[in-house]
Order: sequence, then C-alpha cells, then structure tokens
Amino acid sequence: MESDLTKKLPIREHIKNIKKILNVIYQMNHAYFFLASIVHMINVGIPYLGLILSAYILDSFTIKGYQEIMIVTVAVTVGIFILSFIASTIWNHLEVERERMYWIYTSMTQEKMLILDFSRINSPEVRDIQTKIDRDMNWGAGLNSVFWQFNHILYQILNILFAVFVGMPVFTQIVVSNQWQAGLILLIIILLAIIGMKGRAYFVKIHEKFLYTTIKEEEKEEMFCCCWEFARGDGFNYKNGKDIRIYEGYDLMKRWTVDVLFYKKFRKSIWSGAVGLAGAAFCYSSVQGILEGGAYLTIAVLALLGTVSLGNVVKFAGCLKNLMSAIVSLIGSLEDLAVTARRHISTFEFLALENEMYAGKLPVEKRSDNQYQIEFHNVSFRYPGTEQYALKNFSMKLKIGEKLAIVGMNGSGKTTMIKLLCRLYDPQEGEILLNNVDIRKFKQEEYNRLFSIVFQDFKLFPFKLAENVAVSKQYDIQEVKNCLIGAGFSERLKELKYGIDSYLYKDYDEDGLEISGGEEQKIAIARAVYKEAPFILLDEPTAALDPLSEYEIYTNFDKIIGTKTAIYISHRLSSCRFCEKIAVFHKGELVQFGNHKELVKDTKGKYYEMWQAQAQYYQMEAK
Amino acid sequence: MEQQEKEKQEFIPKKYSIISDILFFVNFYKKYEPLVLVCCVVEIILGTIFPVFSIYLPKITIDLIISHAGIKEMIFFLGSFTVLMIIVYGMHSFVSDGKYHFYNTQRTNLLGLLFLKSLRIKYGYTEAGEMQKLYWKAYDAIRMGDSSAPSLMVTGIVGMMTSIFCFLLYSAVITVLSPMMLSALIGLSLLSYFFNMCHIHYEESLREERASVNRKYWSVVESMGNIVAAKDIRIFGMHPWLTALRDQAVSDIVLVERKFSKKRSFYEKVGFTLALIRDLGAYSFLVYQAVYGSIRVSEFVLYFGAITGFSGFVMGIMNYLSQLRAAANSTDYIRAYLELPEEDRESGTRHKEELTMPIKIEFENVSFSYRDVEEVSDEALEKKKKTVENNSEKMIFQNLNLTIYAGENIALVGVNGAGKTTLVKLLCGMYEPDSGRILFNGIDRRKFPKRELYELFSVVFQEKLIFPFTVGENLALSRIENVDEKRAWYAIERAGLKTVFEEKKIGLKTYMGRQIMEKGIELSGGQQQRFLLARALYKDAPLLVLDEPTAALDPIAESEIYQSYRQYSKEKTAIFISHRLASTRFSDRIIMIEDGNIIEMGTHEELMKKNGAYAEMFRVQSSYYEKEQERK
Repeated sequence: MESDLTKKLPIREHIKNIKKILNVIYQMNHAYFFLASIVHMINVGIPYLGLILSAYILDSFTIKGYQEIMIVTVAVTVGIFILSFIASTIWNHLEVERERMYWIYTSMTQEKMLILDFSRINSPEVRDIQTKIDRDMNWGAGLNSVFWQFNHILYQILNILFAVFVGMPVFTQIVVSNQWQAGLILLIIILLAIIGMKGRAYFVKIHEKFLYTTIKEEEKEEMFCCCWEFARGDGFNYKNGKDIRIYEGYDLMKRWTVDVLFYKKFRKSIWSGAVGLAGAAFCYSSVQGILEGGAYLTIAVLALLGTVSLGNVVKFAGCLKNLMSAIVSLIGSLEDLAVTARRHISTFEFLALENEMYAGKLPVEKRSDNQYQIEFHNVSFRYPGTEQYALKNFSMKLKIGEKLAIVGMNGSGKTTMIKLLCRLYDPQEGEILLNNVDIRKFKQEEYNRLFSIVFQDFKLFPFKLAENVAVSKQYDIQEVKNCLIGAGFSERLKELKYGIDSYLYKDYDEDGLEISGGEEQKIAIARAVYKEAPFILLDEPTAALDPLSEYEIYTNFDKIIGTKTAIYISHRLSSCRFCEKIAVFHKGELVQFGNHKELVKDTKGKYYEMWQAQAQYYQMEAK
Repeated sequence: MEQQEKEKQEFIPKKYSIISDILFFVNFYKKYEPLVLVCCVVEIILGTIFPVFSIYLPKITIDLIISHAGIKEMIFFLGSFTVLMIIVYGMHSFVSDGKYHFYNTQRTNLLGLLFLKSLRIKYGYTEAGEMQKLYWKAYDAIRMGDSSAPSLMVTGIVGMMTSIFCFLLYSAVITVLSPMMLSALIGLSLLSYFFNMCHIHYEESLREERASVNRKYWSVVESMGNIVAAKDIRIFGMHPWLTALRDQAVSDIVLVERKFSKKRSFYEKVGFTLALIRDLGAYSFLVYQAVYGSIRVSEFVLYFGAITGFSGFVMGIMNYLSQLRAAANSTDYIRAYLELPEEDRESGTRHKEELTMPIKIEFENVSFSYRDVEEVSDEALEKKKKTVENNSEKMIFQNLNLTIYAGENIALVGVNGAGKTTLVKLLCGMYEPDSGRILFNGIDRRKFPKRELYELFSVVFQEKLIFPFTVGENLALSRIENVDEKRAWYAIERAGLKTVFEEKKIGLKTYMGRQIMEKGIELSGGQQQRFLLARALYKDAPLLVLDEPTAALDPIAESEIYQSYRQYSKEKTAIFISHRLASTRFSDRIIMIEDGNIIEMGTHEELMKKNGAYAEMFRVQSSYYEKEQERK
C-alpha cells in the first residue's frame, strides 16, 4: 500500500508546504529568522577567517618576521573570539524561543480538539487525520526538525556564498588557466558526487517506504506489536495483571509483545529499513570522502603546475571542499525539509478543519427566574456513519422546574437525547426549541451555560481539586467547599493535607490523590452543582456508589436541585420515583410517559417489565 | 511533618556502576541482537581512523607539492588516499546508521520485557506505590526515543571508545612535536574538563525540574485532546481554563529553559576563552618553530590540525562520559525492575488434585494491611511495620475468621471501601495475609504452587479488561491455536452472547476493538460484561468469584444474569459481590463486612429478622420498589 507521503510531488507543492511551515514559525516570532541569519553568518565566517589566517601564515614564513606574523595572528584570533561571543549570546536566546514555539505548536492540534464540533472529533474523517498526524509526528518530525533543518539550510547557503567569495580567485584560475587536468579532475569528482547522491536518494526512498507505509490489515497478525500500548497502560496496564495471572494470560501477552518482534515478516521489515538507512548514509559519507580528497587533488594539480602558492593550496582546498560539500548537504537538507514539511500537512489539515454545525448568533437571555422551557419537536437522529436511528420522531416538553426521569434498556436512546439537548449533535430531522426558538440559533457558549451535566463517562482532570470543581483557575473557595460537601465528599476532604488545593491523580503532580470511582462521581456532582445552571442532567450518577451513599445523594438531590429543571437517567428504577414524570425509551422512541403510578399499572408496557425485573427481588419479602 | 517527609522518601534501587550497566546492555544485545554489537565494534575502529585523514591529507598534499612530484605520482597518491577515504567514511556511516533500527527494535523488546515482568512479579508489587513509581521510571527510561537509556548507551559507548582512541592517537602525534605542548594541552583540557563538569552537573541538577515541567505540560495537553472528556469540556466551557493551564505550563518550561540557556551561554564563553588561549599558544609556538625552520611547512599544517582537533576529543570523552552516566542512572531503574524477584509459581508441597470438589474455604485469624514495599527491602518493611502499628487504620483485616462451605454461594455486601475486593484478592493469592492462614479443604493455600492455585479460580473483576485480540484469544487468554472451539462457543452461549455473535457474524477469530484491526468489533458496555462472564465460564474453575458483574446492565439484562447465576455456580463454591442487594436472593448465605470486619452473616431472612445493618441497607434500597399499597 503506497502511502501519501511516499508519492511523488511536484516541486511547486514542496515549496508551498515549506512556506506554510516556515510561516507558522514566523507568525510566532517575527525576529527569529533575522537573528538566526546573523548567528549563521558569524558561525560560517569564522572557519573562513581561520582558513585565511592559515594561508597567510603559510605564505609568510619565508618572507615576514615572527613579530609581524604574530600581530596579524593575534588580531584575527581575538576577532574570532569576539564574534563567537556575540553569536553564542544571540543563539542561546533563540534556543529558548525555539523551545517556546515548539511547545505551543505541539499543543495546537489538541487545542483544536477543544473547539471542533463534538460530532466530528470522533468521526472516521477526523480519526483518519489524527492517525496520520500520529504517524507523521513519529520518528522525530516535530517542529524541532523544521528548526534544525531550516537552520542547516541557512548555514549551508551562507557557506556556499562565503566559499565562492573567498575561493573566487582559484575558481577563475581553473577556468582561465586552461589547465585541462585540473578541470577534468574536478569534473570527474562532481560526476562521482552526483552518482553518490543519486544512490542516496534511492536508499532514502527505501527507508521512507519502511517508515511511512502502513501495515496491511492481513499482515498485522505478524507485524503488530503491542509493547507500547500495553506498557503505557492504555486500558490494559499492568495493574490489570490480576486477570492475566488468574487466567494464565502471560503466554498470550508474550506473543503480542515480544514474540512478534522476532517473527519473520517483522524482521524482514526491520532489515529493509536498516538497509535503506545504512545505504543512504554510506552514499552520503562516501560523497564527503570524494569531495574532501578531490578538493585537495584538484588544487594540488594546479599547484604542481605552479599557479598556486602553498597558503592558497590550504585556503582553496578548504573553500572547494566546503563549497562542494555545502551543495551536497544543501540538497540533502532541502530534501529532508521537504519531507518534514510534508509531514506537517496532516497537522495543517486538522487545524484548518471548519466546524460544520450552524453557529448561531443569538444571545441567550439571562433570566433570574430560570423561566427556560425546552421542547423536542419530532426529532430524529442517527449517529454519523450509522444507518439506524438512535432517536426517532421524538417529541417532548421539559417543563420548568420539573424532575424528569428517563429509563430504558441499554442502547434505547437515553444518552443520545441528552447529547442532542445540549447540542453536542444536531438532529437530522425536527427541531429543539428553547422558549420557542430553535436552539441552533443561539450562541453555543451561551446556550451551554444553561446545563449542568454529570455524564455516565464523565471525566475529571489531573489538576487541582478546586479547579476541577470550578473549571477555572479562579474560584470561590467557600463555594467550592460547599459543593463538595453537598455532594458527600466531606469526609475525604477533611483528610486531605492540602484540602481543595490537592491535585487529582498522579499525572500532573506525582503526589496527587488516588481517588475511587465513588469519589470521582461525587466530585463530578460537585462540579455540576458549582455551575449553577438552570438545567441539571444526571446520567447514571450513582452507578459506582454503594446503596447507602446512593441514598445519601438522592436525599440531598432535592436540596441541591431546588427549583431547577432536572433530568435523571438511571438503570435503577428506584431512583425514578423521585421524579414527577418518567419517560420510557425503547429502541429510540418514547414509548411511555407519565408518573410511576400510572406507568406501573400498564402491565403490558415496557416500564412494568423493567420494574418487575428489578423489583421482584425486593418484593418477595412482602409476599 | 518530618515523619511525612521521611515516608515520602522513594524506594531507591540498587546503584550499579557504569561498567556494570554497560555490560548489562552488552549481554542484552548479545542475547537478542548480536548484530548491534558487531556494528559498534566496526564503528569504533573506523571512527578512530577517519579523523586522521583530515589532518594528514593537507600534510601529504603540501609534501607532494614541495617535493615537486610528477602529476601522475600526485594523482596516484592522492587518488588512492581518496579511495581509502571513501571506503572508510562510507563504511563508518554504513554501520553507524545501519544499526539504528535494530537497536530501536530491541528498545521495544526491552519495554515488552518490562511489561511481561510486571506480570510475573508478586501482584502486590504492581499495586504498591513505590513499585509503580519504579515501573514508570523504568518505562520513561526506555520510552524517550533517541534519548532513552538503551539508545544513549549504544551511542555513548561507541562515542566514548572512539574519543579515547582518537585522544591517544593524537597525543602520540603531538608528542612527536613536543611533549611540552602535549602537557600544556592536557593542562588546558583539564581546565575545560573542570568547567564542563560544572556545566554537566548543573544540567543534571535541572533534569528533574525539566522532566517535571514537561510532564505537567503533557498532562494538560493530553487532557485537552481527551475524547472522553470532550463532552464535559464543551458543556462546562473548559476551553479558557485548559488553555490557561497550557500557557502556564509553557511559560514554566520556558523559565527552566531560560535558566538553562543562561548557564550554557556562560560555559560556552568559558570554552571560547580557553580556545583563544589554546590557539594563541599553538600559533605562537608553531609559527616560531616554522619561521626558525625547526618544522617544515607541511608539519605546521599537520600539527595545527592535531592541536585544534585534540581538544575536540577531550570534550568528546567528557560529553560521552556524562551521557553514559545519565544513561546508567536510568538503566538502574530498568534493571531494578527487571531484577525484582519473580513470584514462585511452581514450588509447593500439596497439589490441587488432592482437593475434592467443591472446595471449602476457611479464613483463620487473617490479618492484612497493604504494605508499600512488600518485602523488597527488609528495612523498608520494618519501617512500614512501625508505621502500621502506630496507625492502625491502615489495617484492612484484623483476625478475620470466616468459613465458606463446599459448594456454597456467598453474597458479599458492604459499603464502598469495606474491603470486599481486598478479600477476593487475598483469597485468590494476589496478596498474602500478614498473619493467619487461608485454608482450602483444610490445607493452607500457601502449600499449593501458585500456578495451580490460580487454576482453581474463575474471577470477573470490576475492570473490564478486553484486549484488542481475537474473540478466542480474549476468552481463553491463550494463543488462538490453543483455544478449544467447542468450549468457547458453549461459554459464549451460556453468557447469553451467542445470538448477538451470530447476528453480527462474530467468530472466534474476529478481532475485538479497533486498536489493531480497523474492522474489529466493539461491544457495548453490557455485552462487555457478559463477555467477561463468558471468560470465567470458559475456564470453568471450581471457585467462581464475580465482582459487580451487573453494574452496566439494564434491569432486564441484570435480571437475566441473576437467573443464570444459579446455574453458573452449580457444584462450585461461589462468591458474588454486588451493590444491588437483589443479588443476595440467589445466595445461600450473605456476609456483610464493614471496615474489614464481618458484622453480619446469615440468610436473607435471618438477617432481615435480625434487623441490623443489612436489613437497613436492604430497606434503603428496596424502599423504592415496594408496592404502592404496602408503602403506606
């Protein structure tokens, strides 16, 4: 399978790519390129000063006095010292800037994830781009490579200019003096160098193929190694060693981690990569050898014929060697930069993704009386890329201040309805109205302010506990504490050395807290309460809690919720009895609606069936 | 306060010498990829030769010119010299780059070995905080690409050896010129060594700080891109918060880098000054010699090249030394983990064949506490014991006595953190009690080999552990060729998944999840739980333990599992842990624990009559299910 990175591209496209990535750097720091040029100018110049000095000394032995030679020598050496001093100061400043730009750029794709349409962040299209980005940023092709390669190119260009300038007299001499031997030798060297570079290009292709070709699905069994995923603990980390021990899974783990590395196909691919890399390196270094030896050979032949002084031999050999190797290296670096720039296309593609959801402009009226009414009107919805309706022709009104429960089997559309309600997705048919206005017309951030949600798979972050509750760096300390206590977190809170300033988990702070699933749920509830939104939505908020904590939370809910509109989703039908109205979902449709008393009477209904399934075990007692 | 500081002290693994760490890698490559070692040796030899070309080439050229050699002679000499250079340069790069993918693959292998090791050490180690830190340090040491310990070792050894050989070679060249010059150069080099060491020490002192700011940055960035968090991020408007955290992380990094760059700039300038002294000295000496005819012009070129090159190799030795030191430091973590004692799986005086089924289980005066560094070092253990004595809350069980009769079905209930899961871990040998015994049919379970002990259990733990492998491999947790097809389908059927699998055309060779195969199947939460059940049923061990197996199920699916549970646990000794007390109705006996103590025990009816904690809990949960009229 040929990958998009190994396909041939017209030079125009390469230039466009390089421009784009350089522009990213320019936008982050206008002065970088200018200052870098100064540094390279000095750094390139210094060896030439050294060469000129050596040539001067060599030619002066016989004609000038010791003192005279030394005055020039000291002046040039001190000059080199001062120049190095300046270059080092600027360069160290630039290195810090480079770090800053690198870290900002590296986070850009993740930052984009914050604002992309929710419906798209997990879409096949976006997943594809992300897989590409992962592949493209692997093997050291981040922004640092761009810096490195670009600086190298700048250096080599200046090197060529200096070499031509300093070595000009001898170059003209070869042409003017009509000494065909020297010319011929030079020609042969250049020819050999070109052949060498062609060879390199051939091997580079082989290596690129190894790097960028994705493994074919049918070859994965023998090629896919799980070491990295497993060792990092992507869901199956060593902590789950319980299962692997009990079920004797060691051998299976071994097969997918280390054994696969020694399978024939895997080995073969490593060999092809190694041959590509080694071959390219061989060609490149051989060319360096040709150029170094050849430069001296050319000059020596000229000198033999009496046209060049000894000092000039050293100087011009240096210039010639530098010139040719700079050209070779420049070509190599340009190719590298073109490849690197190309590997940033996927990142640009991702950053350029535009949101498809209609972005409304209407502000959401702030009402102190919380008189917000929401209505679903014949809403139908399919998840992108699926045929089946997750929600079908669904209509319902959420009355202000009402407590509504949603029940149903797994996959009946309960969570989907919540997602539509807070506009993570737009329905394909029908509309959702807020105070009789289509919710699509509102500004999304303002509309979001109406909802506090505890999702089934909510997520806390490895930062300060208080910041997790307030989702901001600024927070009201007392309010945060109240919310945590209200959610039943007070006992653990008392134990914490740093109180609400403690960090969660160990990712950010090594000494962060380990928290249990139940505690996580309590913090998530506190977060929802802190937001003080008029709607509060709870998707299985007590799944990880034991009956007593569950009861505690339920009894507190009335206090927490007050006059807000609330929606519960729960598998435990018991919790629905808190609610004034119960909506029963089945296969994406609203099949029953009413209060518990009414619903349980309908013995043919879905609600009765579920209720019985659960209640029978508790009611045996009564019989 | 002081006590806490002490407690925070990390478990420091044994320090190995650099030589010992180098030998560790030499042996590692010898075992898995000897090619890497061959490449290294060739690279060192060629690497020593090739700088010599650079200093002798100008000398030979000038000598040839001065001696008025003929053009043919010139072409012959310089031409063959060039051919030699091409070969040496080319081959040097060939082996240098050629080994790259081989040792990188071995880096992956090493990581795999680390992971596999975590499955072979005592389970307690993997949960202990200090051991986890050690694991992550070892992981980090392997992870970091070209700056990982294995990579730094390879490039460091080669660079170090090459620099030492070049140093000796150049010293020999310069000694011929003037031993005085050599000692002066060595003096200067020592000076620059001193400054360089200061720099390196400073850099090493910043390493932790650097790693810490980088880790913070990544944890922020990973949070930003987390797909599960995306809903929360949008609804709660976390964008400004997360970007503010990111900006702060970046500015923290920049702060550290700036500190670092200031120092580097300073030491660079010290280096320039030393180079100035060296160059002035060398020039004045060599020019003097040349002007007054003690050396030839060609020798001037040779020696000047040798002198300026010399300091490069001294620098090289120092830099590679510091590289090797850093690599050796992280290698210690890797070795410490890989050399942890493995669980003894085979030795035991009794065998499971002696057990009559079903099995009777007894806990006899069992006490247990989580110890951080379990038996890794006696000292740590002693320290821990003391803190445990001072701090009795850390004890999970104290003198626990419990008998589960052969073939009995037990429901284990209690609030979160009461010790239910710990009890299961103790039972199946993940942990050993601090004191007391656990008996199977009257035999201490420690007398069975661990491997056989594990064979006695089918456990469904709370974590939903499904690998991105085939259905068959996931069921049996063994290679696909060892999966018993009939048994697998029978287990799938009993767990209630057969119809779904048939509908979706899922076979034993279908891959699960999308991590490996794009066409892999994704099971819903409820189906996953059933699948884990199927795994337990496939194994069909005499002891069945289910830890919260119905948490993600809807009422009807939950009820189905309850109904089948009787049948699953037939002729087995079984333990069912659940928050949903409905499950207790299918058990012979209920055991309620609180803070590691058994507070109530008996059948549902007995406990309800007793009107204690269980009855209260049951009432809390069932109050909502009571029929309307009875409620009044």
